[in-house]
Amino acid sequence: MTLFLVANPIGNTPAFVSLVKDFEFERQKKILFREAIFSFLIALFYLFLGEPFLAAIQIQPYAVSLSGGLLLFIVALRMIFPPQDTNGSTTRPQEPFIVPIATPLISGGGVFTTVMIFSRIEQNYTSMFLAITLAYFFVTLVVVSAAYLQKILGRRGLIAMEQLMGMILTLISMEIIVKGAHMFVQALNS
Amino acid sequence: MMSLFTLTLILFLIMDPLGNMHFFINHVEGIKPSRQKFIIVREMLFALLAMIFFSILGDALIDLLSISQSTVYLASGIILLLTALRILFSSEERYPKKSDEEPYLVPLAIPIIAGPSLLATIMLFSDTEPSISKMLTAIFIAWACSAVLLISSKHVVRVLTKSGLTACERLMGMVLVLLSIQRIAEGVVLFMQPHQIS
Repeated sequence: MTLFLVANPIGNTPAFVSLVKDFEFERQKKILFREAIFSFLIALFYLFLGEPFLAAIQIQPYAVSLSGGLLLFIVALRMIFPPQDTNGSTTRPQEPFIVPIATPLISGGGVFTTVMIFSRIEQNYTSMFLAITLAYFFVTLVVVSAAYLQKILGRRGLIAMEQLMGMILTLISMEIIVKGAHMFVQALNS
Repeated sequence: MMSLFTLTLILFLIMDPLGNMHFFINHVEGIKPSRQKFIIVREMLFALLAMIFFSILGDALIDLLSISQSTVYLASGIILLLTALRILFSSEERYPKKSDEEPYLVPLAIPIIAGPSLLATIMLFSDTEPSISKMLTAIFIAWACSAVLLISSKHVVRVLTKSGLTACERLMGMVLVLLSIQRIAEGVVLFMQPHQIS
């Protein structure tokens, strides 16, 4: 349950919708489903290999949080101030692939730290594995249903919402960065 | 100090052979297969030379310019961060368009394999790492792994498929962002240390 909340698919739904808005409905569902699967794989990766891998390249938990926040921040800024394409509208919109939906939006620093903490408390890998699978099953459901939201909102509603969501996403990303900075300062003092 | 494994792994990640593979394939396209292998081996050797050059000279260069260690951390962290962001956010036009000439030194050896981020990293490590032989071993192992991957790029692409390759590229980009943020943070720590004593 906690994992489902940390992954926060419901809160992120509007962001997903704005990120995939340029694609056909069927394609959107496909993209979102794929991203959900990727985020699941990434969470599993955190569980089994996260700690040794990060230790091997000497990365502290705060760096995970900081970089996730930074990436989201850039995405959010692009939503508010769309990059001017000088060649006109001929450039094909880039399809979101792993970044930013699968990570850091769904399986970002929050999920990472949660998985780390739980796997320390819970020594049993199978129950962790089941918990993650269950949580991500629901995450996948919610994420895929985000595609339907667009039908309800219509085109104009979406454009308006993209600006708003950019704003909110900026807030979320700043929050993550601030948390990371907090962890960093704590690590400095200890 | 860092273990040999850590050094090697970081260098390998920054070389990013999986992420750069499709540039290699693009550039050697239309050349005879036997010639392609030869070109890749030659380019990799150039890259190795550049790396060794920087690992030996890096220390001296930093001393000569009297740059403090926190600066090296911060600067190389920022270069790495920008490189990683470019991988993540713009998949096309990262590097100059393919010319009709056979690739020679530029762009395959430098900057795709031995780019500024890798060279800055090597300078940083050669500054912090006292033993040169360990550094050179790490460079060599990381280089050999990427060389093997790139030479067999055709098979790798067949196994991973094109979207698998993109996935690897993106994941590598994420890891690079992590590395760069960590390095910037370490730079800040180093910068703060003298202030805390007072």
